[in-house]
Order: sequence, then structure tokens, then C-alpha cells
Amino acid sequence: MKIVGVTACTIGIAHTYLAQQKLQDAAEAAGDQIKIETQGTIGIENALTDEDIAGADVVILAVDIKIADEDRFKGKKVVRVSTDTAIKSPNKLIEKLHEIVSK
Amino acid sequence: MAETMDTAALAEVLDPRIIVTGLEAKGKEDVFRDLADRLEAARYVADADSFIDAIHEREQQGATGIGGYVAIPHGRSDTVKRNGVAVAVLKDEIPWESLDDTGAKVVVLFAVGSDDEGSKRHLQLLSLFARRLAKADVVKSLIAATDVDQVKAALLND
Repeated sequence: MKIVGVTACTIGIAHTYLAQQKLQDAAEAAGDQIKIETQGTIGIENALTDEDIAGADVVILAVDIKIADEDRFKGKKVVRVSTDTAIKSPNKLIEKLHEIVSK
Repeated sequence: MAETMDTAALAEVLDPRIIVTGLEAKGKEDVFRDLADRLEAARYVADADSFIDAIHEREQQGATGIGGYVAIPHGRSDTVKRNGVAVAVLKDEIPWESLDDTGAKVVVLFAVGSDDEGSKRHLQLLSLFARRLAKADVVKSLIAATDVDQVKAALLND
């Protein structure tokens, strides 16, 4: 499965990047391909390309704030959670993405 | 991203003056005070009290305990003159609002200035620390660290 997503927290220093790493590790453990863009204090990193988004089966937004360019994901299956959820239960979250995609 | 480059860059940020192990604290306020004073003494922050106010502002927005006995409070303020990461390994677990209802045994405190100019690279380094703390084995070594060198090793080793 191919997953793309964005993480963003209120201050943009810590949770954004923790959530990114947790999601990446959980997805890789489940055998998925994943690319997570971070929108933090340092701006956008690991930016998703149009190809990334077009090729994705599902989009995970682990965000606590309004993010830039959310309309990129229009028409995709999008799951939205808080960064806390991504940090606390990344494996469950990836399982949930699998359920949604297989529907 | 090359891991070796990351490690070299992270080593540069880890400053023994703002790392403490075996810290005796009764609660989070003790930890804020100890680390803020160290940050002030090492001239990362101009005023420890103002910095503690900034930490409180963030604490009010939600839990900074990320689970697994690790807390990552952070403060963003004009009083921060140089971005840095202070680390306290605690002698005993203390209560801390967290995502998994554990307390804190390790506190990693990020100090970040309000002025973004010229600090982007530094902030990138701090983001690498946050990513490291997502790794269970890093956290495990960090909790077990009994001196500054072990703290550095825990954060730098893959």
C-alpha cells in the first residue's frame, strides 16, 4: 500500500517530527510505502509531489492546525487525526488505513 | 538523508552544560527550573523566568508527555538567544501529563527563539532530535543513562 500524509503541530518544533517518524516506522513495519510531509516552524520539508499524491492509496493527515494546500488531496481517501494519535498509536492507525483502503 | 551527516550535526547541538542525569525532582516545575537555570547560565536564554513562562504557555495547550516515560516540553520566546536542547534524566519517575498515562523519567526540553532568521538550520537539528525520540531503543538507552556521555550516545547512536 502507498501512503502519503502531512504532519503539523501547533508550535511546529517537536510533535510534527515525532509523528512523522512514528508513522514512517509503523508503515514500514506493515510493509507499506510511505512519504510524510512535515509542515513545521522550519517550513515544509519532504514535500509531497503531485506524483506522490496521485500514486497514493490513502492520505493520512496528522495535524493539529490548518495546513497549507490541503486541497491537493481532494478526491483521495483522507484520514484526519491529531499528532497525538499518530504518536500514541501509530500501528493501530496504519491498520485503520488498511481497512479504509480495502473497503 | 545520510545518517552519518545527521549524527555529526546532532553531536554539535548536544551541549554537556545543558544535560543532567540523576536529577532529583518532585515534579515538572523542579525540572523546568533546573533546566531553565542551566540554559541561562550557558547563555541560551537571557532570562530563565521568562523562558519558564513560555514553557507554561505550551504546557497549557496539551500533554507534552509523548509516552514511554519521555516528556518534550518546549518554549518559544524572545528570551531564547540561541536555540538548544536541554536534557534531564531523572532519578525517579515524576507525574507528567502524557499520551499513555505514564509519568516522566526523561525530559527533553527544546528552547527556540522567536526570530526565525538564521536559525533554520538549528531548528532542523532540533527536528532530528524529535525524530530520534520516536525510536523505542533510543528512549530505552536514554532512560538508562547515568552520565552525560551516555545521554549523548543514546541520542547519537542509531
